[in-house]
Amino acid sequence: MNDFFSTYGSLIVSMVLGSLVGLSLYLPLMTGQLSLASPGFYALGGYIAAILSTKVFISKSNLFPIHFLLLEMLIAGIISGLLGIAVGIPALRLRGIYLAIATIAFVEVLRVISLNLDITGGAVGIFGIPQPFENQIEYLWIALPLLIISMVLFYRLERIRVGRAFLAIREDELAAGAMGINPTYYKVLAFTLGSILAGMVGAISAHFLNTWNARQGTFDASIIYLTFVLIGGSRSFLGAVLGGMVFTALPEVLRNLADTGGLPDWLSHFLRDGRLIIFGLLIVIGTIFFPQGLVTPDLFKKLTKVKRS
Amino acid sequence: MQLSPKNTIILEAKGLTRRFGGLVAVNNVSFAVNQHEIFGLIGPNGAGKTTLFNLITALIPFSSGELIYEGKVISQLKPHQIAGLGIARTFQNIRLFGELSALDNVIIARHLHTKSNIVTGILGLPLATREEENSRQKALELLELIGLSDRTEEKAKNFAYGDQRRLEIARALALEPQILLLDEPAAGMNNNEKHQLSEFIRDLRDRLNLTIILIEHHVPLVMGLCDRIAVLHFGQLIALGEPSVVRNDPAVIEAYLGD
Repeated sequence: MNDFFSTYGSLIVSMVLGSLVGLSLYLPLMTGQLSLASPGFYALGGYIAAILSTKVFISKSNLFPIHFLLLEMLIAGIISGLLGIAVGIPALRLRGIYLAIATIAFVEVLRVISLNLDITGGAVGIFGIPQPFENQIEYLWIALPLLIISMVLFYRLERIRVGRAFLAIREDELAAGAMGINPTYYKVLAFTLGSILAGMVGAISAHFLNTWNARQGTFDASIIYLTFVLIGGSRSFLGAVLGGMVFTALPEVLRNLADTGGLPDWLSHFLRDGRLIIFGLLIVIGTIFFPQGLVTPDLFKKLTKVKRS
Repeated sequence: MQLSPKNTIILEAKGLTRRFGGLVAVNNVSFAVNQHEIFGLIGPNGAGKTTLFNLITALIPFSSGELIYEGKVISQLKPHQIAGLGIARTFQNIRLFGELSALDNVIIARHLHTKSNIVTGILGLPLATREEENSRQKALELLELIGLSDRTEEKAKNFAYGDQRRLEIARALALEPQILLLDEPAAGMNNNEKHQLSEFIRDLRDRLNLTIILIEHHVPLVMGLCDRIAVLHFGQLIALGEPSVVRNDPAVIEAYLGD
């Protein structure tokens, strides 16, 4: 068991963090808005945690105190949320592909700013972010409760007034407006909730990865996170969770596959380094054959029916 | 028994105009709708009827003119604010929330009559839970009213055309409106269904004390149902009055039969 955890601990935590990022992208999608801003808030949250833990919360003990990590997550969530409101109000006037482009631009702006500021360590980034745990697997103590709480919240959200307003806007924004729902308000709310979650996950990731730099919030990351929800399922939060887990693990699985030997050189090269190509292909194929992703609300209805009968 | 005096004006349009580029879809249209009235809006295809509905419900801004509701100018409002004033509508090209259940479609329209926010809702505090239960009850009553109470969990997009039109009416009624705008409610129905619908609309008006404005192509239905009728032709109001008057108006006959 210990062997298993020391080999796969890092991957398991990455998968949980991946599904949380997936959820942060799923929130604006609940209102039908394709926003790719999550990596920006993720990077911002990471920088906040990295700066606070290396410059402000200096502790003498061997392990970084967990309550400081929780405090960093809180601060990262608040700042991301405030920035989310500030960015969301103008950006959500745009729709569809234009919103996607605007949010990609937002991620790029944050990336370039972080490359050029002293406090973010410029191109080098921030090193030696203190560790609150001895083993990487122990990050689950933070990441897993956050995922479970988030999933419970999402489950509830889909069954209450606010969540139904989100879905109504996704289904038909114009009709939702005619039914008395203020589309702008709820779109900004969903976008802001997503940015809070992304910021908090970033704060955990910064500690988990030990180092943080401008490569965390890039266009590549946007595409990978988009795969999480588009292929996992854009109509059910479980799709985002499963998508986040599977597609975080996929590159590792492919790398193992490449190392098994007996494969032609070009194929093992492709499996090792062609991650973005594979994800890109999956997005194209997925949107054609599974426009709502693999995990859909209908799938659950079918499964529960089978169980009952 | 007539509770409200028959000639209280509830909605007034003054010189409403909407241009789409060079086309004047609605041209300087003025009329007043009385409380508790069934007000028909007819005209050939492309006369500007739906555009007029879209202007009233603020889905598109008007180029000029003024809209007055219960004595207040409501020209600058957004669609959800118009709904908040008690003006509900259905759509000509049905706009239900297709992937959601019939019940959810109607519950969503209870939005303005509920207040729970994201925190009280997620925590399931007593007020929010009670609200949810009330909305559900109210929605079930409305589905019963339109005769769909045995299919509440079915997706809206799976309903037959006529049922979708009725579901849209139920959804609009969930807003508890003062004015109900129906855009071609009888489209796609057979004569028998049209007759039933006409009875249903009159019954709604009496029971819920509604004012109803409806667009309809089927002339016999409009003539039999409406208290007054406005006729639009190329965006202009060419006649307004009781059915018997409008029916014999030379301009109307010419618009419908051509020259």
